[in-house]
Order: sequence, then C-alpha cells, then structure tokens
Amino acid sequence: MKTSVENVADLCEFSEDNCKKFVDRIIKTNREVFMMSSLLEKQMCGYDLIKEIFSRCDVFLSQGTVYPVLYTLEGEGLLHAEYSKGDMRSKKYSLTLSGRKVAEKDVEDFAKALEQVSLLLKR
Amino acid sequence: MSIMLKNTINGLDKILFDEIPKGSVILVTGAEGTLKSGLVFSMMTNYIAAHDEHGLYVTLEQNVESHLRNMNSLGIKEEGGLHIFDYRDMRLEWMDSELDLIKTTEEVIDSYKEKYNNLTLFALDSLNALYSISENGNMRNKIYNFFSHLRDEDLTSFLIMESAQSRISGQFSQFHQIEHFLADGTIELGMIEGKGGVKRYIQILKMRATKHAMEKHQLTINDNGINILGPIY
Repeated sequence: MKTSVENVADLCEFSEDNCKKFVDRIIKTNREVFMMSSLLEKQMCGYDLIKEIFSRCDVFLSQGTVYPVLYTLEGEGLLHAEYSKGDMRSKKYSLTLSGRKVAEKDVEDFAKALEQVSLLLKR
Repeated sequence: MSIMLKNTINGLDKILFDEIPKGSVILVTGAEGTLKSGLVFSMMTNYIAAHDEHGLYVTLEQNVESHLRNMNSLGIKEEGGLHIFDYRDMRLEWMDSELDLIKTTEEVIDSYKEKYNNLTLFALDSLNALYSISENGNMRNKIYNFFSHLRDEDLTSFLIMESAQSRISGQFSQFHQIEHFLADGTIELGMIEGKGGVKRYIQILKMRATKHAMEKHQLTINDNGINILGPIY
C-alpha cells in the first residue's frame, strides 16, 4: 500500500504529465501561430524554429509538420525567404509587412481565445 | 465515387474507359526519359485547373525550381492549387540527423490536408528515391502503412517508380513486388523501337474497378502537351 504522501506525489506527477499532454496538443495544432510568433522576433530557418519552440515550450515539432507551414505561408505572401549570405544550407524566413500584421493579430487573438477557454472551464 | 481524370490528357480516354475510383493508389513505372513525371504532373495540373480542389506533388529527386523548369520545357504550366514540396531545405538543415522520410512524407501530407481540406490528389516522385534515402529496416511494413495512409486520407495517389533496371534483369526487387500487389493500378511507360524509329508508349497493366485497354498506345509530346495516340502493334 502506498502512503497518502506517495499518492499525492503520484497525482502531481500525473497532473503534470496530463497538463504537458494538453500543452503539447495545443502547440502542435496551432503551430502556425507559434511559428509566426517566433518569427516576430527574428528571421529563422526551419531548423532554428524547431529548436526555438522546443527550448521555449518543451514541445518538439517534427520537420514534416514545420516545413509545409513555412512553404504555404511563403506562398501566401506572409513570409519572405532568402538564403543566408555565404551559407546556402539554410533558408531564413522573415515576416513580410502583411505577414507581421497577420502574426500580431493571430498571437493576440490566440491569447484571448486561451483566456476565454480558461474562463469557460472555471465556471 | 470516381475522380474525373479521363479528360486531363488528350487521348487518355482511348485507354481508360471509366473514371478511376477516388482514393486509388496508382504506380507509374518506366525507364528514365519515358515522361513519368511529365504525365503525372500534367494530369494533376489539368485536373486542378478544372476543379476547385488541391493537389500535392512531392519531389525527392529534384527541387521545386528544377522540377518546374523541366515541366515548362515540356510545355506543362504550373497551377496554383497544385503544391509542390521538395526536401532540399529539410535535408540540408538536418544533415546530421536521420530523417524517417516515409513518416515525414505522411506528416507533410497531413499538414497540407489540414490546410486544404479539399486536397484530393497526391504524387510522389519517386519511390526509388524514397527507398534510397530511407533506412531499410522493416520497409515492407512501412510501405504497407504508407499505402494505407494514402487510402485513409482518400487521396488519389500517383507513385512514380523507375523500373528499367529491374525489368532488364528480368526480376523485380522485393520492394517492387510489394508495390505491385498493394497498388490499385499500374501504368507503364516505355520506349519501343519499330520501323519508324523509337516511339514512346503507355500501357495500363492494371486498374482495379476500371475498364481499360490492354494494348500499348503511342505517347507523344508537342506544344499542346502530352497526347495519347492509337495502339502500337
């Protein structure tokens, strides 16, 4: 039989894991917002973005889910891509003027939506 | 439900009597220079141009720019709803990591499907390239799952496969056997030498639930794109 202290510890651990699972799912589903949010700060290549989101959110976005988003956003004129000077290995993406507007709006709306969801759950 | 592909290539109705069921996985095989990529890309662009749908063409052999240059030289134009994906950036940036390209390709498909829910057509150019870059471990299962994934997504798919060497040696490799069993259809492209010189041909070897001709038909290319002419005897 586990003591109640151990049970509480188990519960906390489970709760943390469960919370991580939800965060993971939210970020993966809304990766476009997180990617654009990262690009608001500086230009990055796909590799940088994956690393950045991993270090910031502890969520690994796989390559097959990140590069298609970069290419479609570029196709929609929201991102501009260029190879770094002297380094043809990495294509750096930056937000275009319209991309920056969309990114700022999306980040703001996304944060509001999360607040609303949180309020709805607390009712 | 069928996908209206018969009118995408001039003369395709000479060899395809019915429309192909949606979600079919079709192998397009043949030696190099037999217009495999051109035929598939042309079918896809013409279909997308006439329908409010999207397609995804994944190229492992070339990057987007060189693929489009190649298609333009054949008189095949780009179409907005047909998205072309290459692995150049991913492979250069993740040089030191091992990428599971089959799993990654599935994720790429899912990502485009998420963005465009009317994504109905898919092409992979080519399966040979996918094999050469992928780890061989458990490849049979991976291929089986890959085909299942395409069907689950209800994508009518064209998988391009260069087959010349295996045909010359008289036997298919073990992977080639699997694809032929798993695929709903096989279209073979080739070249044949006759009195009038070398001619390109197209032949439908198999197409489940679809009536089709069995004979080899001549395939030509001119300023109007790809054309299928009469049978070659």
